[in-house]
Amino acid sequence: MNPAFRKKIKRNDRIAYWVITLGGMAIIFSVIFILILIAEVSLPLFLSPDAELHASNRIENAEKMMAVGMDEYMETGYTIDEDGEIHFFNIVDGSELDRSQLAREAGRKKLIDVDSYGRLNHSLLWEDGSLTIEQVVFRPFFDEANDNKRSILHQVDRLAEFPAPPVLPQQSLARADDEGRKVRVDLFADNRLQLQLLEVTEDFLGNEEVTEAEHLLEVHFKGKISALELSNNGRMLYAGSDQGELCRWDLSDAEEPVLLETLQGFADQRAISSLGLVFGDVSLAVGDVTGQVTTWFPVRNDSGTRVLTRIHDLSQHSGPVQALSPSPHDKSVISFSDDGLHLDHMTSERFLLALGEKDSLTSYAMTTRGNAMIGLAKDGRLISWKLDIPHPEISFGTLFGKVWYEGYDEPTYAWQSSAATDDYEPKLSLTPLIFGTLKGTFYAMLFAVPLAILGAIYTSQFARPRLRELIKPAVEVMAAIPTVIIGFLAALWLAPLIERSLGSMFLSLIMVPAALMISIAIWQAARKVEPLKRVERGFEFLAIAPIAIMAVAFAAVLGPGLENWLFAGDLKQWLFTEMDTRYDPRNCIIIAFAMGFAVIPIIFTIAEDSLSNVPNSLKAASLALGASRWQTVWRVILPSASPGIFAGTMIGFGRAVGETMIVLMATGNTAIMDLSIFNGMRPLSANIAVEIPEAPVDGSLYRTLFLSAVILFVMTFVVNTVAEIVRQRLRAKYGRF
Amino acid sequence: MKKASKEMNKYWRIGEPMVWLSGAALSLTLLSAITLLIVIMVNGLGVFWPSNIEEVHLKDGGKIFGQLIKTEENYEKTGLRRQYKIANRDLYGLDFRWIDEAKIEESVYPDELIVLERIEHGDFYGRIKAINTGRTDSPTANLANLLTELDRATIALDHLSELEDKLNDASYRMEQMRLEQLKLDYNQVPADSPKQVQLNLEKAELDKEFAGLIELQTRRLADARKAKAIFVDAAGQEKEIALVDIFQAYSPNIMGTSDKITFYFFKLVELFVGEPRESNTEGGLFPAIFGTVMLIFVMSLFSFPLGVIAAIYLREYAKEGPLVRVVRIAVNNLAGIPSIVYGIFGLGFFIYGIGHTIDSIFFPERLPTPTFGTGGLLWASLTLALLTVPVVIVATEEALGAIPREMREGSYALGATKFQTLYRVLLPMASPGIMTGLILAMARAAGEVAPLMITGVVKLAPALPIDGNFPFFHLDRKFMHLGFHIYDIGFQSPNVEAAKPMVFVTTLLLVLIVLTMSSVAIRLRNKMKKRYTFGTF
Repeated sequence: MNPAFRKKIKRNDRIAYWVITLGGMAIIFSVIFILILIAEVSLPLFLSPDAELHASNRIENAEKMMAVGMDEYMETGYTIDEDGEIHFFNIVDGSELDRSQLAREAGRKKLIDVDSYGRLNHSLLWEDGSLTIEQVVFRPFFDEANDNKRSILHQVDRLAEFPAPPVLPQQSLARADDEGRKVRVDLFADNRLQLQLLEVTEDFLGNEEVTEAEHLLEVHFKGKISALELSNNGRMLYAGSDQGELCRWDLSDAEEPVLLETLQGFADQRAISSLGLVFGDVSLAVGDVTGQVTTWFPVRNDSGTRVLTRIHDLSQHSGPVQALSPSPHDKSVISFSDDGLHLDHMTSERFLLALGEKDSLTSYAMTTRGNAMIGLAKDGRLISWKLDIPHPEISFGTLFGKVWYEGYDEPTYAWQSSAATDDYEPKLSLTPLIFGTLKGTFYAMLFAVPLAILGAIYTSQFARPRLRELIKPAVEVMAAIPTVIIGFLAALWLAPLIERSLGSMFLSLIMVPAALMISIAIWQAARKVEPLKRVERGFEFLAIAPIAIMAVAFAAVLGPGLENWLFAGDLKQWLFTEMDTRYDPRNCIIIAFAMGFAVIPIIFTIAEDSLSNVPNSLKAASLALGASRWQTVWRVILPSASPGIFAGTMIGFGRAVGETMIVLMATGNTAIMDLSIFNGMRPLSANIAVEIPEAPVDGSLYRTLFLSAVILFVMTFVVNTVAEIVRQRLRAKYGRF
Repeated sequence: MKKASKEMNKYWRIGEPMVWLSGAALSLTLLSAITLLIVIMVNGLGVFWPSNIEEVHLKDGGKIFGQLIKTEENYEKTGLRRQYKIANRDLYGLDFRWIDEAKIEESVYPDELIVLERIEHGDFYGRIKAINTGRTDSPTANLANLLTELDRATIALDHLSELEDKLNDASYRMEQMRLEQLKLDYNQVPADSPKQVQLNLEKAELDKEFAGLIELQTRRLADARKAKAIFVDAAGQEKEIALVDIFQAYSPNIMGTSDKITFYFFKLVELFVGEPRESNTEGGLFPAIFGTVMLIFVMSLFSFPLGVIAAIYLREYAKEGPLVRVVRIAVNNLAGIPSIVYGIFGLGFFIYGIGHTIDSIFFPERLPTPTFGTGGLLWASLTLALLTVPVVIVATEEALGAIPREMREGSYALGATKFQTLYRVLLPMASPGIMTGLILAMARAAGEVAPLMITGVVKLAPALPIDGNFPFFHLDRKFMHLGFHIYDIGFQSPNVEAAKPMVFVTTLLLVLIVLTMSSVAIRLRNKMKKRYTFGTF
């Protein structure tokens, strides 16, 4: 042989070796590794939050500062001092940008109190008792002349002004909403609570009408009012006393404020030191002298009235809680005490962060996007932190446990990822979805497993070989029917059909087995007659088909009459009134049929393979010993093939768990936890398909959906691995695949 | 008595009833499969059959034109009721109507009733009253003249669609120029550089051309719309319809069976080559078929070579050991991972990972408008390739494993290298098995919808993934798919009842495609099995 040629061949062989080895390994590992990446996307859900020092600058006259604030770009900060002057400065280097006087009247007035709320709103109480609400607005500005460089513009708007009451109040709160409704609440030293209200209503002709009202609010506390909070729209007022009492007023009606309730919040009569409303103004955060932060909201009790109820216990401070403020961005609560700031998320009850433990802060604020905090230390340092709290609302508790959501009467498992407003509480419990997946799978398997296994037994053991060669490929082809088609037929053809003839369906569930029993008995008797004796075996399933069809037809005819007679003509109504079961048109019966239909061929094929791979010698020996053909199957073949049948069932289970299109189309997709066969459900897979197109990338919902994909992956992977190992053992035992 | 119970005991012990029960399970399975196929066939095959239109005289003096859809028992269970398709959606607001048989006086089949298939608002059933060609002479109102005029309108429409092609082309070029401009701006090429000036000149020229085309189109369209015809419905209500809005007119009551068969096949052709109309509930399926085929093709380009190489490595090159066994189990398992998991992976890794990276490197000037960072044909194909690689690996491995060892040993004995053995002996022998795997993978891809829904399938794609504009293959484009088409028109369409026929037709088509593919694959595999199990080498 030509040595050059030989060399070439050898070289080719080496090249092929390396290409295939490297390529093959790369492909296999990348395919497996790629799936691990899904888990990586969902992992940040469980990362702990982080705060990073952004800047720290010393300012002068720190003791005079009443409030601080900062823009969400972390560039401009401001302070309001007791002379009513607002200073804007650069956060990073502390250089002053701008200053202006907030007291517009001639003659300088001093500030005695500042209450900050909402999106950088401050209600300022002046020393003469008058009150103003100032809003600081930051706006990004892109300078077109200067290469679109971004700068942050700021301005201060006055939203409202209130005249002074006759006596200087101890504490004042004020709110103004977009519709021109202005509310001021004053607490005087003698425990009197006074409401001032200014409402502008516009009738349909466009004439404005101004209503002014002043009310003294009734207070039924045993102790003194020690904390007050007014909702952002000025329609709800909450108060806490130094004896642990809580009460709330409804101020929506300008003519008549209503005291809704007074209750003993804490049995041990601990003094309530501060109140705050969580973003969305539904939950009330309560801080007390023991340093405990709790949240409350009204829950309907047995008699139907709404009563403030303690829902979540958040963090514990070492000293009394001095101030509570909501995050203006999500359901987090910032609590302030001697030991610094604590950040807790209400829904997940997660303690997120502690800030400024050693700085002895005097005032603080969070940016409107919740991405940074600023605090003023006693020693004059103005400290800002960059917060990294990606998914505060996620914890194992909220994902898998019962959570008491705002507005609910009790803790529940709930999935509701989005709502019309942005201050809703996301409900991301995976439990109802996992439940839905397992429920659908259970009913589908209930339908599929007996049919598939019995069918496989018949095909492999009793059918004529010629028929077997037809049946097996036919069932395999069945496996290829796209699930979107099965789902579509189930939802648009089967569901209306079953809804219309529910009675007939149940009747045929009885009629078909009954007809089979009767016909088998008749056949057994008839077989003793001479000409029938010679009818060959192995065609039973063909003979049975017409009987089954006739039984179903019979049930269809009889069904309506029976329904009339037993259930007054409407089984669904009867179920609702007598059994207290709601009938959904898209329910588990449909799923059982449709998903069962999709799973049967898979179980069938694997079970049939393992049954027909049992060595023929076993069967022959059993038959030779005088066992009947069923005895042979039951005692000899089935035990040998049982691992294969088990594997088939497992793989079918895996398939049903992950099935998406059928459940998406035929379940109704409501995330309820109800085992009833007449209800639908919302499984993990359909949930992903429905929600992922709308989920913002890298948001909590997005990552939670990836987590549910991981759960699906793990569920199927474990089940399939078990099945695969069993199957490989079986193969090794009988030497064939 | 004792004897009888003994007999009974024996009877149960022998277990003959259990045999029958297992037979019953099998026949139920097969029956349900057959029912499924029959339901699809019955509903799908009849859609294009031009059934006669009845003129139904009601007892209260009213009249309707309609095609009988079905007859069933009414709610009060006092008699039968019939469902008619009455069409004329724009006049009545609904397409179907239920009428109690008791209320029907008689129904006749007048010859002159006409069915109009319109571009918008679905069908129109009625009589023709007048034809107004827009010229001085207007022919008498009958079907033959209407058809002649429709032909004339079609010619006008053809001219219009040529214009439209030109317009599309011009707008595509405009878009390219806009992107070019964006790129130049992004790279901070000054506005007075020759490139920018040149581009601006070209743009101005194109703008002019575009405006001219638009003007021409508007004028031609106005001209074409002058030809109209007036029709009357059953109640005598008149409706004037521009001829260009009529897609087709025919009169089923005077068509013979052979005419109807011809018509049926004409409609079938239209189904395959036509564009969808009326939010996909009418017209053809061409873009969906094309999208499906493209998807399968691109997917096979990836999954076939990758799967085969991986399988060859596993079976021929890797040393058997615990690691390979674990890998094999894992690969077998991957075939059972839910498709939605692959879909979400495609979204997270391909689209948001690789796609965003490509965008930020190659198309930074277009951001934040994504080019590859959004769902598209390429990402959907890759996702499906990932989903089907295990199928190809398993099939190829089985095919290679089934080849007797003697074949390899014989080849080596003759002095062949490993690669030569593989290339000349093993692969040819395993090719039916590999083909089987590929076809099964393709069938799976054709029927899979869930992963596509999140990686780039849309209900109506504005352009096909292949066209005459450079670079001809636009893998970043969104596409249509038969399976998704079923989901979309069956569940997302505003008028589900009117959409049903089209869903069934699409279903029938998809079932035929998938069943044909998998039957071929299974036949191939069974043949191969026989060859190796019983053949002599």
